[in-house]
Amino acid sequence: MRLRPDLELVAGLIPSGSRVLDVGCAGGTLLRHLIDHQGCTGTGVEIDPDAVLAAIRIGVPVIELDVDEELGQFEDDSYDVVVLSRTLQAMRNLDLVLEHIARIGARMIVSVPNFGWWRHRLRLLGGRMPMSKELPYAWYNSPNIRFTTLVDLEDLFARLGLTIERRITLNIKGHPLQVTDRAANLFAGAAVYVLRR
Amino acid sequence: MADFVTVHRALLAHLGVTRLLAAVGGSLGGMQVLEWALTYPDDLASAVVIAASSRLNAQNIAFSAVARRAIMDDPDFRDGQYARERANPDVGLRTARMMAHITYLSEEALSEKFGRTPHPGSAKPGFGIDFAVESYLDHQGQVFLERFDALSYLYLSRVMDYFDPFADPAALARLAGKDLRFLVMSFDSDWRFSTDHSRRIVRRLERAGQRVSFREIPSRMGHDSFLLTIPRYHDTIRAFLDRALEEVRA
Repeated sequence: MRLRPDLELVAGLIPSGSRVLDVGCAGGTLLRHLIDHQGCTGTGVEIDPDAVLAAIRIGVPVIELDVDEELGQFEDDSYDVVVLSRTLQAMRNLDLVLEHIARIGARMIVSVPNFGWWRHRLRLLGGRMPMSKELPYAWYNSPNIRFTTLVDLEDLFARLGLTIERRITLNIKGHPLQVTDRAANLFAGAAVYVLRR
Repeated sequence: MADFVTVHRALLAHLGVTRLLAAVGGSLGGMQVLEWALTYPDDLASAVVIAASSRLNAQNIAFSAVARRAIMDDPDFRDGQYARERANPDVGLRTARMMAHITYLSEEALSEKFGRTPHPGSAKPGFGIDFAVESYLDHQGQVFLERFDALSYLYLSRVMDYFDPFADPAALARLAGKDLRFLVMSFDSDWRFSTDHSRRIVRRLERAGQRVSFREIPSRMGHDSFLLTIPRYHDTIRAFLDRALEEVRA
């Protein structure tokens, strides 16, 4: 099974043999890949019933729970890496979730769509809420309730004492995009962060 | 609980089965599966623990206590010698079962099934069976007498009261390095063994680095849900077992 490009990028950031908690693991394909090809172990966490079933079907350990409410059940430092891949924008208590994942694992990989992307800004300037491949929903039915720009998000990381070890900016198609630090917030459609507490 | 596992293992030995693809159990059966997996992890490729508990709470034990009291206070209990004296504590056993049955269903399920519907035979208010729900419980109590022994009931309830497999620090250590997968499931309307019970099992296993999946299945039917054909529940077991089978064949 071929991994989605953004997940392939995430997989490349995870050391072999790591114990991984994938928060918002969807159908478990990242963990399956990590178990099969990188000697990892781990657990997925997911709330969508069909996704949970899909993960169980491919043999990925998955715990059905509400990330906003129930991350407390995981112990401090019980995982090497915690992945939060395109999950953060759907969280109600985002700061609490980030505090939890920093407690559960010292290393975190967080990927987010960038609301500050220039096309989103143009659309907003035209009087419409942004929509794109990364944010394909209409405002009224979107699961994404926390829109952030990269700059805003990095402020939150700093406030929570999380160090950005690495940032990979992506274009809207999900391919790595080389931009200067300052231009990232305007030109990146999404970004993947490697964080340390 | 260990004795139940011993009996099942003896049966497997007799049948010439050396390893199970899965042990699957609900309620007391789920507790047996957990005991089995923690004691003899090499016997199983996977363990499915449904609507069970790894440690009863005070409310659970309280219900057991009333059931036992009903049985033992029945004059026909005869200090446990009822079989020899050709008696049977029918009243006590029936009362115990009636009460237990209330805990097997959710409030919603009882309301949905019976509401306040009068029992067809009751003409005017009295102290007999006036409501349909009373008739149901009476029937459940009655059929139970035909297939259950009072002493068995006492022992089974006490086995559950004392079940606490994770209290043994060696239990999880025995699982280290074993090739075992767990599926734990609960039902959201189950108040006999609520989701908290299942979550405790999941926490213990997950913290020990075990491969454990967990789902809370939406159902209105309470503890009895584990006996029912609920699509999400059955789909989950099917997906889990299909995968387990693929893995042992690979």
